[in-house]
Amino acid sequence: MQEALAAMGSIVFDVNLLFLIFVTTILGVVIGVLPGLGSTTGAALLLPFTLTMEPVHAITVLTTIYVSATFAGSITAILINTPGTSAAAATTFDGYPLAQRGEAGRALGIAVVASTIGGIFSIIILCIAAPLLARVAYEFRPPEYFALTVFGLSMLASISAGGAVKNIIGGVFGVWLATIGAERVTGIERYTFGHYELYEGLAFVPVMIGLFAMSELLMQSKRLKEVAEAIGLKAVKLPTKEDYKKIWRTVLRSCGIGTFIGILPAEGATVASMIGYSEARRWSKNKEEFGKGSVEGIAGAEAANNAATGGAMVPTMVLGIPGSGTTAIILVGLMVHGLRPGPYLFTEQVDTVYQIFGAMLVANFMFLLMGLYAAKFFARISLIPTTLLWPIVFALCVIGAYSLNSSLLDIWIVMVFGVIGFFARRHGFAVAPIAVGLILGEMVETNLQNSLKMFDGEWWLIFTQPLAVVFLLLAFLGLCGPYIFQKLTQRS
Amino acid sequence: MELRLVTIPTIIAVFSVIIIGLSLQLDTSPPMIVGDSMQARSFPIFLMVLNLVLCVMLFLQLVKAKPAPVPLEGHETWGSMILLLLFFALTITTDMFIAIPIIMFLLSYLWGERRLIIAALNAILTPVTLFFLFDKVLQIRFPRGIITNWYYG
Repeated sequence: MQEALAAMGSIVFDVNLLFLIFVTTILGVVIGVLPGLGSTTGAALLLPFTLTMEPVHAITVLTTIYVSATFAGSITAILINTPGTSAAAATTFDGYPLAQRGEAGRALGIAVVASTIGGIFSIIILCIAAPLLARVAYEFRPPEYFALTVFGLSMLASISAGGAVKNIIGGVFGVWLATIGAERVTGIERYTFGHYELYEGLAFVPVMIGLFAMSELLMQSKRLKEVAEAIGLKAVKLPTKEDYKKIWRTVLRSCGIGTFIGILPAEGATVASMIGYSEARRWSKNKEEFGKGSVEGIAGAEAANNAATGGAMVPTMVLGIPGSGTTAIILVGLMVHGLRPGPYLFTEQVDTVYQIFGAMLVANFMFLLMGLYAAKFFARISLIPTTLLWPIVFALCVIGAYSLNSSLLDIWIVMVFGVIGFFARRHGFAVAPIAVGLILGEMVETNLQNSLKMFDGEWWLIFTQPLAVVFLLLAFLGLCGPYIFQKLTQRS
Repeated sequence: MELRLVTIPTIIAVFSVIIIGLSLQLDTSPPMIVGDSMQARSFPIFLMVLNLVLCVMLFLQLVKAKPAPVPLEGHETWGSMILLLLFFALTITTDMFIAIPIIMFLLSYLWGERRLIIAALNAILTPVTLFFLFDKVLQIRFPRGIITNWYYG
């Protein structure tokens, strides 16, 4: 523990790292306020820039983008009724009405304070829960890992509003994409069609850039006629004593909800903020204020979505199972930099892990300062014309994708997955399940193969492993629970 | 029954069947290599069979829910996709750093930017900045083409 605290504290003396966090927080807030970009796209675009950095610095860039962009989505949600990120959608319900009443500064003040508390709370939980979970995960063998990845994939069912079946189809497609390349045991090439670059499999980064950034570019072309009406902002106001009295219970509740939702594999800040908001309403004494500018509504949504960021890092770092779309990219970042996520990360690279946690903590304080003193400036950035911004994103996509392996094939992969992602989203399929499926694909196949070897080909012996059964039951509940619950409710 | 309701499940089903067909053509390994594990084709075939089951479920859901038709996109979206193809053609025939500014400028114009000088400046300055950033700082060598041949010598 002392070692961990020392590693976290050491970043305070690393001036380069602090400066990097400062710059990346500004960048993250800019990314967060630009409608359409968001933390996932931002992290995907910035990943190539981290290649030459040290692992701690590289992952710090990605995690800082994650926490700061998640917060920054609330700035435009409050001022122009357009959530900068999907996680800030619930903030618009009360943030914008409060801003319309001339209290934009108060709304932003509550959002930034609630976000910071949520973020810090979840990082404290991350520091405590991650090593404990890692200790449990040491005992995992292939059957447990196989069952765990199946559980992770089953959670994709509720990753977006597209519908469980569509999400699982996306996840299965992602897992299939992971089978492209040479098969690990036999070396037989699968679906490479003679392209030797595909022998090692599809590179994660170009697929991510294509699915998240390039598809978003095509989606933005549909929204060119949308006009945002900005509300004037004089200064951001810190919450008053009265405000704190009103929101402290909501903030604490949302911190717990957000962290828990974040820890669940494949669930992220968007789901957390929606649940945080609805729970704030359910427990509030002033339900009638909700939807008309309730400070509890803003605090509930914002504390939950930022609490989910730390929570989502738990399965990502400890089990190698991404907790959200952005953590899927952070996971790729860890792998690109030679850090294999899993329980051994907590014994072999303790310093690195806790420095990353410490950097996330610092990033939370940085966006608190920026939210309080520079929100007005950042809100103006959101008015950059789409016609100039998205061509820049296009250039970043192609140059960034090429730079990873100096391969033109990676650029074509970006294009192809951009178009696939666009058509998927057009028909209500989310792209995050495809990305998560791609990441978990190798893990699920390899652990199934190893389990089969372990049990001499008798696959049903997986069900003799208690922990594996628990995970498979959870997966079953994750897939069928909502339907069973719905039927039971209808009957009663 | 409306055609649009069956289109998406049919596309996914056809894709799954094609992948199953391709998987069946994959080589098989002798038992001494595979041992008690599975052949390279088994897992993808399992995934695609699962996809076919999900397709049936999706079809039933769509028939029951009858979602509203997805409106057809405007010329900006289809034009953007054509520009991606143009980017491919220009990159392999000329230079990536000729293709990027042209596509950036055309994209801006297509999306309604009529301040041509600003669009042109954006289209030139962004790739130039990125080129030097990646070339000097990240030490990336870009693919050979008209401009890069001249630059690298």
